[in-house]
Amino acid sequence: MKPKASVNRPPTPDVVENAPEREPTLQELINVKLIETGEKERLMELLRERLVDCGWKDEMKSLCRSVVKKKGRNNVTVDELVHVITPKGRASVPDSIKAELLQRIRTFLVSAAL
Amino acid sequence: MSVPNEENLSHSQLSTHFFLDLLDSIIVDVASECHRVARLGLDSNLEEEDEELKLSAQARVRAADPSNTNEANGKYVVDIFGQTHPAVANEIFECMNCGRSIMAGRFAPHLEKCMGKGRKARLKVTRSSTAAQNRYSRGSPVSTYSNYSTNCMNRLANGSSIFAGDEHSNGTLES
Repeated sequence: MKPKASVNRPPTPDVVENAPEREPTLQELINVKLIETGEKERLMELLRERLVDCGWKDEMKSLCRSVVKKKGRNNVTVDELVHVITPKGRASVPDSIKAELLQRIRTFLVSAAL
Repeated sequence: MSVPNEENLSHSQLSTHFFLDLLDSIIVDVASECHRVARLGLDSNLEEEDEELKLSAQARVRAADPSNTNEANGKYVVDIFGQTHPAVANEIFECMNCGRSIMAGRFAPHLEKCMGKGRKARLKVTRSSTAAQNRYSRGSPVSTYSNYSTNCMNRLANGSSIFAGDEHSNGTLES
């Protein structure tokens, strides 16, 4: 008997389904540029570090722990945790951190001349 | 200050979009980590905290219970561990001074009489000195201390017995 799957992995998209003629959107272009230059990685690490320093990560962890306590250790799925954390997480990012990251992204956009 | 045109607008929209994208990735990471810790049972504090909370809630109930708090009710006061203690400690052991069996709760008054605060204790010294000598010694003044006893001269064998107050004698004193 397979145990209840707690990690929801979406199926791998088929290569055939991707229409090769589609025009890439601006967002996609920028995303590719971010990844290729390594800027996305740097931004992620910066954001991660800032969020740890200000205690945001600890708040999220204690939220998770309360969900685990309520539902029972073996009944929690990643999806549940994500659904609980996302609204609170998005709302509780300190403004200074948000501003800093937005500034860096904007600088990148300008420098990428897109 | 330039008038915000379409490009600037989409710039800040784009920035926000990417910022939220980064934030979502980090949120998923945190959720995944907590999920892993929960499933592997690595967060051992979790159940202990529950136990502590329950115990402290129970103790609080017991403490708040009016029938327990009044000590004048007699010996049957219950402490936070649920134990009762009699008003007078009743463990029995041997007094190191006189060798008698004494009850723990009565030990202090016994020592007072036994060891010299009262009038009768001083007279006891001559009789009980041999019993006390080898076993008992006090931390403060001292075996090699020379002193003249003011009240009486005692003939003592080696060692010294020191009782509260002025009975310091050393060696043998011939009166």
